[in-house]
Amino acid sequence: MNNRREFLKTASSATLAALAAGVPQQAIGSAPRSKWPEAKADSIIILWMGGGMAAPDTFDPKRYVPFEVGVPLEKVISTFPAIDTSVDGIKITEGLENIAKVMDRGTLIRSHKVADLGHILHSRHQYHWHTGYEPPLTVAAPHLGSWIAKSLGPRNPAVPPFIDVGQVMNAGGETEALKAFHTAGFLGSEHGPFMIPNPDLAAKAVQPPAGMDVTRFSNRYKAFAKLAETSPIARHGSSFQRDSLLRSMDNAYRILGDKKAAQAFDISLEDKDSFEKYDTGQFGRGCLLARRLVEAGARFTEVTTGYYPFKKWDTHENGHTTLRQMKKEIDRPIAQLILDLETRGLLDRTLVVLASEFSRDMIIEGVPGSSARDQSRAKTDVLKEMKHYGQHRHFTGSGSVLMFGGGIKKGFLYGETADERPLLVTKNPVTIPDLHATMFHALGIPADHNYEIEKRPFYLTKDGKGKPILDLFA
Amino acid sequence: MLGRREGESQKRICPDNQCQGPHPLAVRVSLAIILAIAVFPAQAVDFKKDIQPLLKNKCSRCHSGHEAKGEFSINTRNTMLKAAKPGNSAGSLLFQLIASKDPDERMPSKGEPLTPKQIALIKTWIDEGLAWPRGYSFAEWRKAPLAPRVVKLPSVKNGLKNPVDRFLQSYFDKKGVKQKKPVDDRTFLRRAYLDLIGLPPTPEQYRSFAEDKDLAKYEKVVDTLLANDEHYMQHWISFWNDAFRNSYTRQYHGGNKYRLTNWLKASLKANKPYDQFAHELLSPNSGEQAAFIDGIKWRGTVNSSQVVEMQAAQNVAQVFLGLNLKCASCHDSFINDWTLDQSYAFASVFANAPMEKHRCDKPTGNKVAAAFVYPELGKVDPKASRKMRLNQLADLMTKKENGRFSRVIINRIWASFFGRGLVEPVDEMDNHPWNSDLLDWLARDFAANGHDLKHTMGILTTSQAYRLPTVEPVPNQKAEDFTFKGPLTKRLRAEQLLDGLAQLGEAAAPPAKRPAFQRHGLRNLDRLMRILGRPKRDQVATSRDNRPTTLQALELSNGDIMHKVVQNVGAKWASSKRTSDQLIEDLFQNAFLRKPTQDEKMAAAGLLGEKPSAANVADLVWVLVLQPEFQLLY
Repeated sequence: MNNRREFLKTASSATLAALAAGVPQQAIGSAPRSKWPEAKADSIIILWMGGGMAAPDTFDPKRYVPFEVGVPLEKVISTFPAIDTSVDGIKITEGLENIAKVMDRGTLIRSHKVADLGHILHSRHQYHWHTGYEPPLTVAAPHLGSWIAKSLGPRNPAVPPFIDVGQVMNAGGETEALKAFHTAGFLGSEHGPFMIPNPDLAAKAVQPPAGMDVTRFSNRYKAFAKLAETSPIARHGSSFQRDSLLRSMDNAYRILGDKKAAQAFDISLEDKDSFEKYDTGQFGRGCLLARRLVEAGARFTEVTTGYYPFKKWDTHENGHTTLRQMKKEIDRPIAQLILDLETRGLLDRTLVVLASEFSRDMIIEGVPGSSARDQSRAKTDVLKEMKHYGQHRHFTGSGSVLMFGGGIKKGFLYGETADERPLLVTKNPVTIPDLHATMFHALGIPADHNYEIEKRPFYLTKDGKGKPILDLFA
Repeated sequence: MLGRREGESQKRICPDNQCQGPHPLAVRVSLAIILAIAVFPAQAVDFKKDIQPLLKNKCSRCHSGHEAKGEFSINTRNTMLKAAKPGNSAGSLLFQLIASKDPDERMPSKGEPLTPKQIALIKTWIDEGLAWPRGYSFAEWRKAPLAPRVVKLPSVKNGLKNPVDRFLQSYFDKKGVKQKKPVDDRTFLRRAYLDLIGLPPTPEQYRSFAEDKDLAKYEKVVDTLLANDEHYMQHWISFWNDAFRNSYTRQYHGGNKYRLTNWLKASLKANKPYDQFAHELLSPNSGEQAAFIDGIKWRGTVNSSQVVEMQAAQNVAQVFLGLNLKCASCHDSFINDWTLDQSYAFASVFANAPMEKHRCDKPTGNKVAAAFVYPELGKVDPKASRKMRLNQLADLMTKKENGRFSRVIINRIWASFFGRGLVEPVDEMDNHPWNSDLLDWLARDFAANGHDLKHTMGILTTSQAYRLPTVEPVPNQKAEDFTFKGPLTKRLRAEQLLDGLAQLGEAAAPPAKRPAFQRHGLRNLDRLMRILGRPKRDQVATSRDNRPTTLQALELSNGDIMHKVVQNVGAKWASSKRTSDQLIEDLFQNAFLRKPTQDEKMAAAGLLGEKPSAANVADLVWVLVLQPEFQLLY
């Protein structure tokens, strides 16, 4: 018994995680193919605009035509006017004034090109973006957060290495598909997401269950440990299964028992002024939570506006009005997150990535030539009422991505799209594998890093082929 | 025809059947080097005499079997094509590298360089068109025999009559394993109950077993458990739901509306003969029965290796044949001998018309006629209707000559009791069993006894081997390093653990008043079960992750679902008018089938206090259920 305790005191958390994890192993004979690049970032925050964020109405302004009855749809590309940012030559759209101010801290990619999967299904595209693989697959693909948790382990053993904030697993007919990629897949559930559907209740996730005070909670665990030691079974000496079980409990209580980490989860402890700067809604408070978690030592945190069919960014009608609201929700907190990380000296070692499964367009569904079915709920050729005004079709031909920190260039614009429909990428396309490879590169992981499943290597980027875009790094 | 057409290049690294073409080799050599090589006069070369030994000696260590350094493998002519252009040695990287004068890039990178004569042989061989005997592979993949095998049952030694033990006596002798004494009644009974019906025994059930002086009581209790059709079904349904990816909740957009659930329940309750069971799934007579081969259809374009017919081929091969066709459904496999053609032929059995072969998701224009994976067993008529073809497939699968069909399921059952298969992994039945006589005897005996799963379950669980003390699993152990010494210590499955907890709750009331709770194997998947390892069932799962994880420990400690259940169980016990001492005594009896030790009593009493509240009792319940003694199956 003492041996285990001693071992726990001396072994690093990464070792413990590795021991608890066991298989799968790094693929035999294939590791490491590439050298591990020097890490520029220790943490990563994904800001996920679930539902398809329309680039022409956010970060890629095109011809703006205000709403007016009788205007043909084809005349309008953007429904918001462009505004200046803190970087000469980079304009974004009205409603994002705060992000515009911090544009000099990061890079805007306008040429993110996702796959056309023939039929628009948000969850399927989200699955693709979050795992790097298109479903269905023959094995369960791990989420980005799991890849990273598995490859790097936790930064602080008291903070789970993969935290997912803001997604409730309820998206109607797409619920199961959402669940399908919020998983560590074949990497094993040790590396799965620590789910916090509601950031306001994040503290609960690391607190005793409702109705149980800290003293009772801790006494209960002490009694558990005491009984585990005195159990007649323990007299058989150490055993792999039993030790693994007790170790998992130790790991859990390291998270549950760490006061500092527990406070990081509790956004109600944030200074009032600061809290208000983030308080635009659940997403804003999620950004605040992400900042607090990174301060406490989080490795991978995703904050999502949440994917709920036909809601939020998923505008099938009335897009302009809805986006005005969405921008209010994201603009201040994202800018504040960047500024706070910078003030705390954390931005250099934290990569922040804003992305979405695809963009939207007023007219084109999918990409030109795609077999995707028109899903607009406000079909018209001419603007007649406000609900016609907005980006009501899913567009996979180009999309915008923001990147801050983690060695990424400051005040930089990458990639271009056409000025007229179709708004396809005209310069420097960035595919999902390349975008992922860039993120992995910042974290010091080679894009062809892999683990073996069913005797074959499974790569962090599809087939190990993602290429980091080195131009993006300062 | 020798080998395959040029251009059918195969990729070593495709992880998920979604590949895009060959990787460029890492090293490039300038032409100048080649010109510097003295060229020997061309002469006809003989693959077997000149080339095979040369490649074997010089290249195979790093470039054959599972090894493919630099993404290059000499396994087959197809894989050779990546670095050798038939008829063009000068343009072949293979030649350039073996002939290079730069020691940093010259191949082989280890050991002596090839002699000029050897280089000339390779050159000529390439220039003459890369001759390759049909079907030859450097990989030497093992193919397990297909036919059932008659194995003589060894004579009785040491008084052990069970067939398993009769085989293991000589195995133990050979391996120098000193067979340990069987475990006590308590440990045995807990094993048998949880393994056969998924519930731990109650103290009453244990008492009557312990008091039974009949030497045949082990056989008797196993018989009784197996005869409990309802409980048997409620436990084993999870095993089959995992394998057939039968989810109780809706899967995906466009998904099959039928579920196997009712058919599975009825089949398990009736202990339907396994050949008939499989036959009905392969050659379905209802939408419900078709749910397994109809698969999951996602909206939109899917990779050609994931169309429903190919899913059916992959899943049927995996579940019923322990055969991995996943790689070979995108390109010729690099983990076994299976080819793309064979996969498409098998998938075409499930299709309305012959399917067009796609390589790495690109159409080839070739249609592939339906055929069974083991043509030596018989034919599926490619011209017959789909219904006829499926019926022929089901006949071929379940016919007596297909010994593999029985071996696969027997191995899975063995693995579920003993924690590890006779063959591992259980889905790779071409691997060597650690005791092929035992496997073959059991498989044949199973088939001869009407494919009765309960028959074989009975043999396994009444063996002395099943009653041996548990052995700890060794992570990442290689098959050749494994020696059977007893069952492995297992962690309870999500359903077993939570059923055990529910049963503990019911036990607060006297036996007569106990209501039956709904077994977790019949409930919809929730967050707690998911974290405890019950699969989502969007994919075939023939084994579960047995490792305890931090997230599980967290969920069990402060998750809402667990907390609520534990509080309820605590409240039931607290309201049962027991004293503190009685509570401790009875909870230990129910959780562990034993009295608490003095130390345990003290620790438990500390938690309960003198007048235990419902919360105090709930805390003790939690402490007991979380113990390795409860969570693990020793």
